[in-house]
Amino acid sequence: MCVGVPMRLVEIDYPFGVAEAKGVRRNIGLQLLPEGEIKIGDYVIVHVGFAIEKLDKREADEIWKGYEELLGLMEEGDA
Amino acid sequence: MVEGVIRQIRELIPRGKRLKIMNVCGSHEHTISSSGIRSLMPEGLELIPGPGCPVCVCPESDIINAIELSRRDDVLLVTYGDMLRVPSREGSIISNGRNFRMVTSPSEVVRIAREDKDRKVIFFSIGFETTTAPVAAILETGMPENLYILSSHRLTPRIMEVLVMDSEIGIDGFIAPGHVSAIVGADAWRVFPERYGIPVVVAGFEPENLLLGLLELLRQINDGRPYVGNVYRHVVRPQGNTTAQRLINKYFTVSDVNWRAIGNIPRSGLELRDEYARADAKRVFGLKEVKESKIPGCICDRVVLGKAYPDDCRLFKKACTPERPKGPCMVSIEGACNIWFKNR
Ligand code: SF4
Repeated sequence: MCVGVPMRLVEIDYPFGVAEAKGVRRNIGLQLLPEGEIKIGDYVIVHVGFAIEKLDKREADEIWKGYEELLGLMEEGDA
Repeated sequence: MVEGVIRQIRELIPRGKRLKIMNVCGSHEHTISSSGIRSLMPEGLELIPGPGCPVCVCPESDIINAIELSRRDDVLLVTYGDMLRVPSREGSIISNGRNFRMVTSPSEVVRIAREDKDRKVIFFSIGFETTTAPVAAILETGMPENLYILSSHRLTPRIMEVLVMDSEIGIDGFIAPGHVSAIVGADAWRVFPERYGIPVVVAGFEPENLLLGLLELLRQINDGRPYVGNVYRHVVRPQGNTTAQRLINKYFTVSDVNWRAIGNIPRSGLELRDEYARADAKRVFGLKEVKESKIPGCICDRVVLGKAYPDDCRLFKKACTPERPKGPCMVSIEGACNIWFKNR
């Protein structure tokens, strides 16, 4: 429950926004980040539909890579 | 790189010594179990799952109250999927409730309440700091009049302090949860090295990052100089997310609450402040605390506290499975019993 995923902000209508990752778009809440500190194109960690923290693209990519490895392992485990 | 880290971890465990490292996050336990990290660890290094599952510690009383609320004609109870299946002596919400719906986000709850104007929508809201902050966010933006919160939120640093003081466990170090830390800040864990001499490292959820965290923790133990390390620095700041902290403090106040099968822990939970009593399901619906019953044979409380492993339970994988869970630790995808069931 406490794991969030990195997504890229594609629309902002503060305190709401739309974020995207892996081709999936999601409406998110931006209340937990100050309005002046976010802009379109920023990467954020999204948890239960809310951006909880910012991070940069390189880090977002790294986290996704790690998650995908893990998913791969889990699928192997299920097989 | 991973092999290198594992080799270094092995070299850092002195012969004959036993070390216990606890994680306090279901998602960390997921990574450890599904990536096989535990099996790569040297003799003498125990990786213990701790209280990382809010569903597992939600008191039976709250579940029974939720079931009863959902049986009222004028109520729609909404909550996260796992909560629907948690057993109580009155059954689960899914088996014995009536008007309920699963949600994945507090914003969905707001939308449902707007659409379902004729009913009272009650959000049975659980979780640690990461999941509390979004609830504070919907309160801040303004909730529909017909939306109420049944808060079963819990505080991570408090339960960790309880564990440290319990001599039966004997924790040598903590892997601190990445996304809880994003909210509370890495500095929130300083009490552990500073007051109890126990090292802490904040880590993320990818196997590589977790291993790096483990390595840093072992180095601290070896050097005898505990501090709060942070290998998830790109997300977690020392002071955390101060906007989220401010909103949590604005709407919630710290209270003494029960943890399922564990009992009352002072200052370990959150309830809505008096100013927002209008939105507090406990007050609006006059909910009473009901006495907790024991689930025969279930040692979920000991699993949550790191005193037993899931396979120490004689019901594990026999009478208790994810399809027919006896206890909450088998229901939740963050419960150690559920995670262990799926990975071995
Ligand atoms: S296996 Fe089932 S009965 Fe045993 S401790 Fe876990 S949840 Fe409880």
